Amino acid sequence: MDRRTFLKVAGAIGASAFLGIYHSDISNAIEISKTKIVWIHGAECTGCSESLLNAENPDIVQAIQKLNVDLVYHETLLAQQGIFVDGRLAGTSELNSEILLNDAIEEGGYILVVEGSIANGPNGSGKYCMYGERPFKDIFKKAAENADMILAVGMCATYGGVNAADSAITDLMDFRGVSFLKEDPSKGMLTELGISKPVINVPGCPAHPDWMLLTLAAVILGKIRVPDDLDAVLDKYDRPLVFFPADHTLHDNCPRRGFYDVGKLDTDLSGDGCLWKLGCKGPYTHSDCALRKWNGSVNMCTQAGSPCISCCEPGFPDSSSPFYEEAEDKPVLFGMNADSLAKVGVGTAILAGAAHAVRRIVVDKDDEKEGEV
Amino acid sequence: MTRVVVDPLTRIEGHFRLSAEVNEQGVISDIQSAGMLFRGFERILLNRDPRDAARITQRVCGVCPTSHAMASANALDDLFGIADQVPKDALVARNIIQSLNMMASHATHIYVLWLPDIVNPAYRDVLATIGDTGAALWKELLYRFAPISYRLNGVSIPPGNAYLNAIKEKKRLQEAIALIAGKMPHQMSSVVGGVTYRPTVADIGKLTSYYHHVMDFIDGSTLGVDHRTWLDNTFRASSPQRAVDFLIEHLQELVEKSLISNDFSHVAGWGDIDLLAAFGSELIGERYLGLPVSFKFDRSGGYSDPSKIGFLSYGVYYDVEHGDGYDPLEFGRSGFQKAAFITGSFEHKKFDHRNVTEQIGHSFYVGKHNLHPLEGVTDPVRNADEIDYNGNDESKYSWIKAPRYDGIPCEVGPLARMVAMEEPLTMGLINMFSKNGQSAANTFTRMMARAQEMLLLSDELLKWVSSDLDPNGKFCVPTDLSMAENSQGIGLWEAPRGALGHWVRTGRDSKVINYQMVVPTTWNASPRDDLGVPGPIEQALLGTKVSAVENLLGIDNANPTGILHTARSYDPCIACAVHTIDLTKKLGNASRTFNIV
Repeated sequence: MDRRTFLKVAGAIGASAFLGIYHSDISNAIEISKTKIVWIHGAECTGCSESLLNAENPDIVQAIQKLNVDLVYHETLLAQQGIFVDGRLAGTSELNSEILLNDAIEEGGYILVVEGSIANGPNGSGKYCMYGERPFKDIFKKAAENADMILAVGMCATYGGVNAADSAITDLMDFRGVSFLKEDPSKGMLTELGISKPVINVPGCPAHPDWMLLTLAAVILGKIRVPDDLDAVLDKYDRPLVFFPADHTLHDNCPRRGFYDVGKLDTDLSGDGCLWKLGCKGPYTHSDCALRKWNGSVNMCTQAGSPCISCCEPGFPDSSSPFYEEAEDKPVLFGMNADSLAKVGVGTAILAGAAHAVRRIVVDKDDEKEGEV
Repeated sequence: MTRVVVDPLTRIEGHFRLSAEVNEQGVISDIQSAGMLFRGFERILLNRDPRDAARITQRVCGVCPTSHAMASANALDDLFGIADQVPKDALVARNIIQSLNMMASHATHIYVLWLPDIVNPAYRDVLATIGDTGAALWKELLYRFAPISYRLNGVSIPPGNAYLNAIKEKKRLQEAIALIAGKMPHQMSSVVGGVTYRPTVADIGKLTSYYHHVMDFIDGSTLGVDHRTWLDNTFRASSPQRAVDFLIEHLQELVEKSLISNDFSHVAGWGDIDLLAAFGSELIGERYLGLPVSFKFDRSGGYSDPSKIGFLSYGVYYDVEHGDGYDPLEFGRSGFQKAAFITGSFEHKKFDHRNVTEQIGHSFYVGKHNLHPLEGVTDPVRNADEIDYNGNDESKYSWIKAPRYDGIPCEVGPLARMVAMEEPLTMGLINMFSKNGQSAANTFTRMMARAQEMLLLSDELLKWVSSDLDPNGKFCVPTDLSMAENSQGIGLWEAPRGALGHWVRTGRDSKVINYQMVVPTTWNASPRDDLGVPGPIEQALLGTKVSAVENLLGIDNANPTGILHTARSYDPCIACAVHTIDLTKKLGNASRTFNIV
C-alpha cells in the first residue's frame, strides 16, 4: 500500500480496521524491528495521555504489541521515578526513571513524543517547568537532538494551546510548542534551540487517540517515510492532512448539517438544531471529528449540542473565543454570509449547492493544499 | 543524615518533587514537597466571555476535567443569577457525568497509578522471607498489578490482568460520559443554565448497560463478593463497628483457606481490595488475621499532631429530590456528599468558605500574605536566579501556595469526603486505628476510602440514570450575556482529588475581571505556611520510614517506597495545584477585588 492509499484508508477508518488491513505486516511483526518511543511531558494536563488510554480496538496495549513498540519512557505509566540520594542518581534504570530516560536519550534511535508546551521563561531559563532537577527545556533539547523524529501531541505541544493563550503574562511565561507558537514556526522551541528535526503535529485538545496511533502506525510501518513523505502528507502547520484536511471542515459532515441546510439555526442550547448562531466554529475547523467521532465513536461535540470550539486549530483558544458567540463571517459569496446562505437554502434550488458554497466561503483559500483524500 | 530526592514523582499528574532528609534510623526527619511548574492559568480568563470558563478551566487537568467544568458551571449559574432555575434533569445529567468521572478517575488512580507500587521488588524480597506463601502471593500480585513496560532483573513482566482490565473500564466510563457530554477528556456539555445535550431513552439504556459492564469488572476483579453484598454490609451497615467486623470476617474466611492452599487468586475468592485490605495493614493483617507478614501501609502517611491538620469537603452532587434549581451559597448542605470541616481529632464543624486563606511565604510568589483567595494579590517570581527548588524552611521552594482553613492545613479527597458523610466502613477503620494508638488517617485508610467511594457511587449512579433522569425534561435555561453584567459567582464542588472552588466576577461589559480556582492538590501538596507548619503531604511523610515494611529488610534510600506510597496515596494533580495566579494588582483599582459573598 502506497502513501496515497494510506491516506485514503486512514482517513476513512479507525485504528482497528487500519491495523487489520495491515494484517500481513502485523503478523510479521517480529520482522518489524522494535520501535522505541520516548514520551515526555512538559506543561500540560495529561489529557492527551488519558485520551491515548481511550484508544479502541486496538487499545494502547494491543497497539504496542502489534506494532512491536517499546514504550521506553512515559512518566504517567511507568513504574520508575526519579531518585537522587545526596544529589546523585541512585539505583538502576529499573527503579530510577531519570537513569532510564538518560540512557534512552544517550542510545538514540527513538521516536520522541512530546505532550505539553515547553517553558522558556523566565528570561530563557526554562525554570518555570522543571523535572529531574533540571529545566524541562534542557531535557527536551537533549531528547530532541537524539530523536529520529518528533511527534507533538495535543494543542500544548503543537502550538502552545492554553499555555500560550493571550494574557498579561504570556510573554513572561514564554511557553512554546515544539515547532510552532500558534501559527508562527519561527517561535517554535526547535528554532529557539537551533535544532532541525522532522516533526509531525497531531493537535487537538486533547488529541484523538486515532490521530496519535494511526500516525505512529503509519510511520512505524513505513507507510509514511520520514522525512521524504512529510511535505506531501502534512499541511502548512505540519498536521497530517488525512485527519486535518485543508479542503474540508467539520461543518461538511456535521451530524446537525441537515438543520443548517434547512435554516433551523438554534438560538438556545439543548436544542437539536444547527449551532452556528450559538458560536459553532465547525465551518472553520479542519478536522475529521464529524466522521471519526470520539470515545468509541459514540458522540462528538456538535452532536452533543455543543458548539465546536475548534480545538485543533493553531490559534486555539484565542482564535475561537468567545466560544458561545457567533463567529464573524469570513469572505462572502454572492453577497451572502454563512447565516443568510442557510436561510436562502430553505426550499430553494440552491439547497444542494449550499454545502459546497459555504465550505468555499469559510475555508481560507490560502490554507488550501491539494487534498489527498 | 541523607538527602533523598524524588523528582519527578511519576504516576501522578504533573511535576512533583519530594525532598526528604532521612536519618540513620531510616526515618524521614524533614521533607519539602514542591510543585515544579508555573502555568499562570487564571490569567487567561481575564477579559474573556465568562461562559468560556467552563471549557477553558477543564484544560487545567485532563484527568478530572469534568470537575472543573462543573465547578465553573456552578459559578456561572450563580454569576448569571439562574442557579435557582437550572432544570432538575440538567442537574441529574451533571450528577451522572460527575459520578462517572469520579469512578473513572478512582479506577485509574487505584490500578494504574498506585497499585503498581506493590509490585516494587522490595515486596518480592519481603515476601521471600515467608516461604511458599510469600512466593505464591508475589506471583499473584505481579499477575494482577504489574504496569506496562515493567522489567525486573532484566526480565520483561507482562502487564497485570487487573491493570489491563481497569484501563478498559476507565475507557468505558469515559465513553459513557461522551455519550451524553460529547467527548472525554474535556467534555462539552456542562454550560451555564444546564447541559447542552438532551439524553434519549436509548442513551439511558446504554448508560445502564455501561453500568452493568463496569459492575462486572468490580464484581469480578475489585471485590471478591457481589458489590451488593459488600455495600449492604459496609456502606449500609448499621454501625461502623459492624462494617469493620464484616470486612475482617470476610478476610478471615479467605485467609483460612489460602494459607493452606497458597492460592490467592480470584477463583479462591480474593478481590483486589481484599488483597490490599489483608496485606496492606499491619493491624488487620498481622494482628487480626494472623498473617506472617504485611506491607504496613497503616504505619505510614499518618499525622502526628491532630491540632495541625483538618479534613475538608465542600460537598458534591446536586440534591435532585426537590425539583429545579439549587442554592450555590448553601451548596453541600444537602445532596449526596456533604460539606464539612473536620478537625484532626474528627470533630465535625460547619464549613464556611470565608475561613479559607492562602499563604505564599514558601511559594514562588511575591505579594501580601494570608488573604482569602479572592482577595489574593499574587505575582510570580520573575528572576530566574530567585527560583531555587532546593529551598527549605527558610525560603521559597514551590509553585503551590499554602491554603489554610482557619489557619489549619487540610487533607482533601476521598478520605475527607467519606469522613464528612460518616461512611461506616471508613469510620470503622478510623475508630479501629485510633483505638490502637495509630494515626487514623494513613496511607492505608486513604486508599480504602478511595476504593469505597468508587463502589458506593455506583449505586447513586444507577439511581440517577434509571430513576431520576427524564428524557422529556428540560435541560437548559436560556441565558443572555448581559445577565452577567457587574456580577459575581461562586462554584463549590468536589474533584476526585478533593475540594474544588471556582469564583468569578464580571464587569460592566460582562467580561471576566477576576477568576479564581482553589484546587484540591493545592491543599494536599501545600508547602509550609507562614508559621512554618508543613502541608498535609509533608506532615504525612514526616516520621514515615523510608523503605518497605518499616525498613524490615534494612534501609534502602535508593528505593524509598515509604515516600512513594504515601505521596501517591493523595492522587496528586500538580497541573491543578499550580494553576494559580491573579495579577489583580496589575488591573489596578480596588473595586475589582472580589467581595466575599
